[in-house]
Amino acid sequence: MGVASVLIGAAVVTALLTVSLGVGDQVGQEFTKYGADLMLQPQSNTIQIGLPGVSIGSVTEQRYINESDLWMIRTIEHRANVLGFAPFLYQVVTVGDGPNAQQAVLAGTYFNKTIQIPQPASSQDPSEFSTGIADISSWWKVTGNWITNQNDTTSAMVGSNVAQKLNLTVGDSFKVSYAGTQNSTTATMQNGTTATMQNGTTATNVKELKVAGIVESGGAEDNQIFVNLPVAQDLSSRPGKVDTVQVSALCVRCPVADMASEIQGKIPGVQGTTITQLTNAEMSTLDKYQSMMALVTAVALLASTMGIFTTMTANVTERWREIGLMKSIGAENRSIASLFLAEAALTGLIGGIGGFGVGIVLAQFIGLRVFSTTIPLRWEVLAVAIPIAIGVSLLASALPVRRATAVEPAIVLRGE
Amino acid sequence: MDEALISLEKVTKVYGGGTRALNEVTLSFEKDEWTTIMGPSGSGKTTLLNIIACLDLPTSGIVRIDGKEVTGVGQAALTRLRRENVGLIFQQYHLVPYLTALENVMLAQYYHGSLDETKAADALKNVGLEHRLDHPPAHLSGGEQQRVCIARALVNEPAILLADEPTGNLDQTNGNLVLQLIRRLHEEGRAIVLVTHNPDIAGFGARTIRMVDGSVEQDSKIRSGVDGSVERFTNPIRLVDGRVEQDSKIRRRQKW
Repeated sequence: MGVASVLIGAAVVTALLTVSLGVGDQVGQEFTKYGADLMLQPQSNTIQIGLPGVSIGSVTEQRYINESDLWMIRTIEHRANVLGFAPFLYQVVTVGDGPNAQQAVLAGTYFNKTIQIPQPASSQDPSEFSTGIADISSWWKVTGNWITNQNDTTSAMVGSNVAQKLNLTVGDSFKVSYAGTQNSTTATMQNGTTATMQNGTTATNVKELKVAGIVESGGAEDNQIFVNLPVAQDLSSRPGKVDTVQVSALCVRCPVADMASEIQGKIPGVQGTTITQLTNAEMSTLDKYQSMMALVTAVALLASTMGIFTTMTANVTERWREIGLMKSIGAENRSIASLFLAEAALTGLIGGIGGFGVGIVLAQFIGLRVFSTTIPLRWEVLAVAIPIAIGVSLLASALPVRRATAVEPAIVLRGE
Repeated sequence: MDEALISLEKVTKVYGGGTRALNEVTLSFEKDEWTTIMGPSGSGKTTLLNIIACLDLPTSGIVRIDGKEVTGVGQAALTRLRRENVGLIFQQYHLVPYLTALENVMLAQYYHGSLDETKAADALKNVGLEHRLDHPPAHLSGGEQQRVCIARALVNEPAILLADEPTGNLDQTNGNLVLQLIRRLHEEGRAIVLVTHNPDIAGFGARTIRMVDGSVEQDSKIRSGVDGSVERFTNPIRLVDGRVEQDSKIRRRQKW
């Protein structure tokens, strides 16, 4: 019963710590899973027109972010929290020829690009930064391969819906053509940004691409084709231009709003939007969950203490005569106390180890049910759970042990 | 006169509830003496044994072991005196149920600070239990358990063995076996103090102390004569000016 009491306490402690530590890490990743923490767009690229109260439509003056400014994202005050970013340049392209031709959105981006930082914010900062969609969208399910070479101009990663529609599999080649004047379609991007095709280009650019991997994200990405940024820039003749930049922050309570305004201050003509609502919802889930778990832990440890206290008291009462005997044949109080404290410590150790095992399982259950994620095993939790289990056992045994040392050796002769 | 092994001088014990269990008892026990303490329930004989065994301290009076004063030494020192000088034999044996016979004997060595398995096994052999070393108490008969208890009492070679109704829970055969054993230990030179209700057992010892209401009512000795006759010397206790005194003048001589 003593072991069971400790086991329950240790299990809850283990579950709490494992989930807190694991989810702490995981939540950062969870956030990126829902998309970037920050979205950078060119400032005010749409102006509403019309009579007062009557909207006629909008005039869109296409603006861009300069690719050459992106390094400045890594020079903001919270630069250490920038997990990564990826620029996007969108265009609607025609895939294939003749009657089978289909239209699709082609996005130029960084997969895994090393950018130079000409003026680091501090002399300790590195002058290079490796980033790209592989860092911020690591949850993508990719059949085939990621594009890893930043100079690869012939490979593409194709969204699963596009691949299905065009009947493309890994290794297939396909042609994309971009004709500026023929195409006045406005593509609505995943973030709601409207990218209107540039007018005035009459030439049709054609590019042959090979499917490196098929992307399944469950989101807008499934309807897009991804290529290295220069490929997209060439195809639509917009060298050095970027429509949007997605920025991921690596931290649990990121000051994303500060980061947004810091980036706005660094890069002229850029507007930063945070994905705050989502972030806050996740945060409050974790916070609520942690306070609840802390409460459960306190109650469980209290219950453990009472359980051990009861067990040890019963143990001392049951062995009253044995204690008297030991004292009568020469045991000092110290020996009696050591005997019972050693038993308590052993109970704590066994209960602690068992509780750790149960706690790991409990943590997985909570992880899957509450956060829909598995939680990695954290061995350092064992180093906390065992001392807590032993500590609780010893603490709860203090009074029973005092009772044991108070047993009078004379009871052995009373013939009771 | 030889220094008494244990001497009590006007020892009084009053328990918490105000019960006066011993009332100014003055006694001494010699090194080679076999003393039987008798008396009705509540006469103070167990309290007397507790004090002789250093299991308890008197409320007032002086207790000496080997001439050294015990009273006022404190619990820890009392524990040391007990394990150095006293071997205890109990009516209920008080063996630790989860330890084997050998381990029970070694427990006494452990607290004495002199663990020695061979010696512990010898002590069990001495009481005829060499074939029962690894048996737990539950697998031993009452007589065997009592012999384990005796081996445990012996193993640290105490000067005095204290036995509280050692045959109280045993049938006659086993009881006799245990008494023969105690007699042999006495013959080897140990002082024995034995508490009993049983007058037959009292016959084993040369000296009998009769307790009534916390006082020594009678203290008698038997001496074997050269002609084989046995003489009993009785020293009745009487109150002189409110003090208990042992009057040697009233020594009666009688044929046993």
